[in-house]
Amino acid sequence: MNEDVDISVEFAGIRLSNPVFTASGTCGYADELSDFMDVNSLGGFITKSITLAPKKGNATPRIVETDSGMLNAIGWANIGLDAFIEEKLPALEKLSCAVFVNVAGETIDEYVAVTERLADEKAIAGFELNISCPNVKLGGITFGTDPEQVAEVTSAVKKVSGEKILMVKLSPAVTDISVTAQAAVDTGADALSLVNTFTAMVVDIETRRPVLANKTGGLSGPAIKPIAVYLVNKVYNEVAKERGIPILGMGGIRTASDAIAFIIAGASAVGVGTANFIEPGCTVKIIEGIRKYCTRKEIANIKELVGSLDRDLTD
Amino acid sequence: MSEKSSATNRGVFSAAVCANRQIGHRFYRLGLEFSETGAEAFANCKPGQFAELDLSNTALPPSETIPEDLVDAAGRRILLRRPFSFCDITTKKNKTFADILYCVVGPATLRMTTLSAGNSVSIIGPLGNGFRVPDGKKTALLVAGGMGAGPLEHLAKVLTADYSDIDVTAFAGAKTVKELPFEARLDEISQQLGFSLPEFANYGIESLVATDDGSAGFAGLVTDCLSEWLGRCDLAGKDMIIYGCGPEPMLAQVAEIAEKRKIDCQVSMERRMACGIGICLSCAVECKIEGSSETIYKLCCEDGPVFNAKGVVFSS
Repeated sequence: MNEDVDISVEFAGIRLSNPVFTASGTCGYADELSDFMDVNSLGGFITKSITLAPKKGNATPRIVETDSGMLNAIGWANIGLDAFIEEKLPALEKLSCAVFVNVAGETIDEYVAVTERLADEKAIAGFELNISCPNVKLGGITFGTDPEQVAEVTSAVKKVSGEKILMVKLSPAVTDISVTAQAAVDTGADALSLVNTFTAMVVDIETRRPVLANKTGGLSGPAIKPIAVYLVNKVYNEVAKERGIPILGMGGIRTASDAIAFIIAGASAVGVGTANFIEPGCTVKIIEGIRKYCTRKEIANIKELVGSLDRDLTD
Repeated sequence: MSEKSSATNRGVFSAAVCANRQIGHRFYRLGLEFSETGAEAFANCKPGQFAELDLSNTALPPSETIPEDLVDAAGRRILLRRPFSFCDITTKKNKTFADILYCVVGPATLRMTTLSAGNSVSIIGPLGNGFRVPDGKKTALLVAGGMGAGPLEHLAKVLTADYSDIDVTAFAGAKTVKELPFEARLDEISQQLGFSLPEFANYGIESLVATDDGSAGFAGLVTDCLSEWLGRCDLAGKDMIIYGCGPEPMLAQVAEIAEKRKIDCQVSMERRMACGIGICLSCAVECKIEGSSETIYKLCCEDGPVFNAKGVVFSS
């Protein structure tokens, strides 16, 4: 291991020890992962979506495996803001990595209310605004696919997010992701995370029914990786680079090589999601692999790598 | 979520395959050997607890041996781990041996059939909560549907070893004789209680077999067989406990029978799960809230997979 290589990153004004996050909904509230890894070895940690009131979530089946991927339709099952503050926040406060809370809601008021209550909590570095979940009837993706609504919810939350980083999580289910990215950045997003899952369906041909109780679910895993890399590069070139807005890139990352591809495409940091289900400690190996790559390529500081794609979409 | 996992020493371990034996139609028993930290972690694995196996790099069997109904699915790459409970756990010196009873139902279990001695498998476990034995029970009834026999076989071993004052009887049912996951000459099994199933007879436990089509043992559902048996017995409900593992409609029936006779009942539930460690939230089991008409979702992996039957809302 070469300690001379600097893989720490500056992300929207805070210093992260490395560019690797665990993605929302794939790492619980951190305590679940601690049997398998030292959560503090992460650059950042993003909680499961938090809504104002507790949510039961969808009926089962909630997941189905697909070729090199999986569909989920959990439906924001979570303990709600009060229980989160009481039961989960104290443990998160002890973490030395950057903690982001994924905020979800059915209305703009709900996003605002959750953010406002948490804005002064010192355990939290920032918020990830979930306006891209495909598995709920109200809220989520209904905000994230319309640039006007993206602007409305982002600016409303920005008014109450105080000193915390406001990161907006974008949906890939749009004609041009740069339009929604631009809307978020123009109205106060300090960072962008992309992409959320792709709306998809699996059909049981024996029963002629969708396998998932919710009928559709969000596709994640290696199957979406090349699309996600492309979208990160597009948003980096068309929106983020010029404005100096960092991107948290995600979609099917399992290895250091996957993570590095996202960084070269324009991500300042990366989120690991589905892979946590298979190897709960895989992020530790990914961090180590990124360090090794930098050593091999004689990259003294990982920021040299961000958006370093030779011949990108603009050429 | 009151019944949090009792598995505190869970982790990712490597296990060596020592055997993988076909025992009938589509059933196999996989024998695994754990050393060092894995041996320690799994030595105390309770009946009903489970583990997640990574089968993504396991080879497919030769194409001509793949059952026709799995030909299309066979080529699909496996991404997620698969959950399995154990039918036996044995410790010898510093090693722990764990047997898994499995049925070939999809691309992962199809690949599993090619594991052989010398291979190793990545396993996360032990996970979840196993069967519990309340104080004061004199009789335990194990009710298995198809593959559900696996964890109940493990329970049979533990009950006879550690609870010698409890009488144990096993009931095993399936649609047809071919779908019973046992090694005996099943077509010769009578309708009488006896030692016909060696998997239970090994522990001195008598068993009753039921098949829907009457091709072995009692002709009818295993739950009808259970009801008939209970109808003939004069034991008090409070002295008994029923343990169920099998398809959900069967478990719902078992729960109803137990409730009517005021017998404690625990059931092992099954759900699709991605992680097994409480983070994906896929494996929701709808449960009653005492004193309320509302329900909540508990997690099969962390709150179960063994639940008190009276708290579960079974899916219709």
